Amino acid sequence: MAERASDRLLRMLGMITYLDRHAGVPVEEIAEQFGVTADQVLSDIDTLWVTGTPGYFPHDLIDFDAASYEQGVVRLTESRGMTRPLRLGAREAVALLAALRALDSSLRPALDAEQSAVLSSALDKLTTAAGDAAAALDVRLGLDAAPEVATAVATALRNGRRLHLRYVDASDVTTERDVDPLRLVTDDERSYLLAWCRLVDGERLFRVDRILAAQVLDAPVADHTVAPDAAEFQPGPDGELVTLHLRSSARWVAESTPVEAVRNLDDGSFEVDLRVLRPAWLRHLVLQVADEVLDVRPARVATEVAAAARAALAAYGPLADEEG
Amino acid sequence: MPPAIPPAERLLNLVIALVNTSGRMTKEQVRASVAGYQDAPSDDAFERMFERDKDTLRELGIPVLTVTDAGHGDDIGYRIDAEQYALAPLDLTAGELGVLAMAAQVWQDQSLRADTSRALTKLRAVGAAPQSTDLVAGLAPRVRSGGGAIGPLLDAVQARQVVRFVYRAANTGEVRERTVEPWKLLARRGGWLLVGRDRERDAPRSFRLSRVEGTVRLVGAPGAFEPPPAEELASALHPWEERPERVATLAVLPERAGAARARAVPAPDDAPDVRSDPRLAAVLAHRDVVHVPFRLDWELAEELVGYGDAVVVLDPPSVRHAVLHLLRTAATLDRTTVGGGTDG
Repeated sequence: MAERASDRLLRMLGMITYLDRHAGVPVEEIAEQFGVTADQVLSDIDTLWVTGTPGYFPHDLIDFDAASYEQGVVRLTESRGMTRPLRLGAREAVALLAALRALDSSLRPALDAEQSAVLSSALDKLTTAAGDAAAALDVRLGLDAAPEVATAVATALRNGRRLHLRYVDASDVTTERDVDPLRLVTDDERSYLLAWCRLVDGERLFRVDRILAAQVLDAPVADHTVAPDAAEFQPGPDGELVTLHLRSSARWVAESTPVEAVRNLDDGSFEVDLRVLRPAWLRHLVLQVADEVLDVRPARVATEVAAAARAALAAYGPLADEEG
Repeated sequence: MPPAIPPAERLLNLVIALVNTSGRMTKEQVRASVAGYQDAPSDDAFERMFERDKDTLRELGIPVLTVTDAGHGDDIGYRIDAEQYALAPLDLTAGELGVLAMAAQVWQDQSLRADTSRALTKLRAVGAAPQSTDLVAGLAPRVRSGGGAIGPLLDAVQARQVVRFVYRAANTGEVRERTVEPWKLLARRGGWLLVGRDRERDAPRSFRLSRVEGTVRLVGAPGAFEPPPAEELASALHPWEERPERVATLAVLPERAGAARARAVPAPDDAPDVRSDPRLAAVLAHRDVVHVPFRLDWELAEELVGYGDAVVVLDPPSVRHAVLHLLRTAATLDRTTVGGGTDG
């Protein structure tokens, strides 16, 4: 997709400011600074060179040192008064600040002292720059990993190393496996590690709060082709179809569980269809929303959940009878 | 015929002209002298081009000021006040810029991404020269934001502008249009929230963005309401504040509840002495005592109930009662549900 004119304008104005503050900068360095290709920088400089104040005689134009430019080094000699950096718009400042806070709240445990200090100072400076606008948005997304796990995952991602994980799944079964970490994915609810799992030879999402232990291995990660939607849960075609009819107050089930279909009913209640691969996962879900369950199909699910609940009540023994 | 001047170049010429003009430039002067506008084939085309360019510049934070000349009646001129658009002095180290570049990748939402990348471009202009940074991509969390509602809501909070949207209430399931004075947006585990005053109820309310149906519309003029008194805002935000951490005491079957065990802590000083309680002897006979930190009763109860008989909550009583309540309800599910009325 072609770049928007406004984005290019912003970068060209930014370049004047930057080049005014840094005398003689190699093209490649400018490219790195603004996150574009060297060719794009050359094209931007060529455009800057022919812009200026009306009249457009040589003395009206933004100008660079031609001899230096031949050597691939950009030296600004005339800025036409355009050196002031641009103020951040309220929404720009808030969006970036919120992202920084999200980073802070999810990544902080994974950083060493030096990185942590850099993050803090960036946060301070941006909060000041955003001014009053900073108050519009309040972000607190915790990375729910144990600190040692967070550190190991961060180190492996940074250095491109394989990880050995001890992982407990939703059925409370613990496994050991080697994975090639790809990235962290945080949604509204939780944080996941997207990784290539060598046990199943495919990409998998691991809930970081279920990673019991993580060890950084010496082996480097291998190259893997990952589907673009790998970070999304896809309810597969396999598994038993189970329908829950729930009261409205259990709406979060439809919002945070990979459901196949949701039907809103006139009385405010709703039905969700789920594909269930692991009975333990379904049992957990139904126990959690027991208060809100109006019906379950097939009926066998209710029988199993009720049996599990009675077994649990029995385990409480006298503690269960304590209150009426 | 010379090749047409690209829009970015025309915009740049306009900015430079309006910053450098001694007093102001009229539309006619812009059309006649600023490179790029001569391409407009008609008066109408020029008008549209100029209006669009002014909007673009305003969006980028470079407001074009309108200046009327007392001597010339309705003769309107334009200029840009460089002081007004300037960023307050801000120097960023290469490391800080690296962190910001990483933050710019956080949002998966298109409109928030556009905003963050613009902010980043502006900050790169004042940042130190790049150097390799330790904080690299892949480490950055990607956050799925609350859909298309965030952009308009941020604008509305900023401008103190009233918003209107269709909302599905959680407790009743009722779907109704709400008119809200937006105060603040919160991102929390569990979703995005808008806190503001519901105009119909004339009371503070919280709205989950995931339950907003359709688009959020801004209605009326900016500055339509006063910011809430600090006390009222604080009490509206109170439910979303983080609760102090407490520690629960659990009796867990061997090898079970791995995720809960993973975050176990040593017994705190004020933990109940469960081993010497004779009533608990039977419960503890084949179980480990595990101490787990938590903040919300219901959150921990919902997690632990899923382990069934593998976990018995010993303390605090509030969490135990919450789990027992869920278990008692669930224990009757085979009688209270009918399995779709077919085979119950």
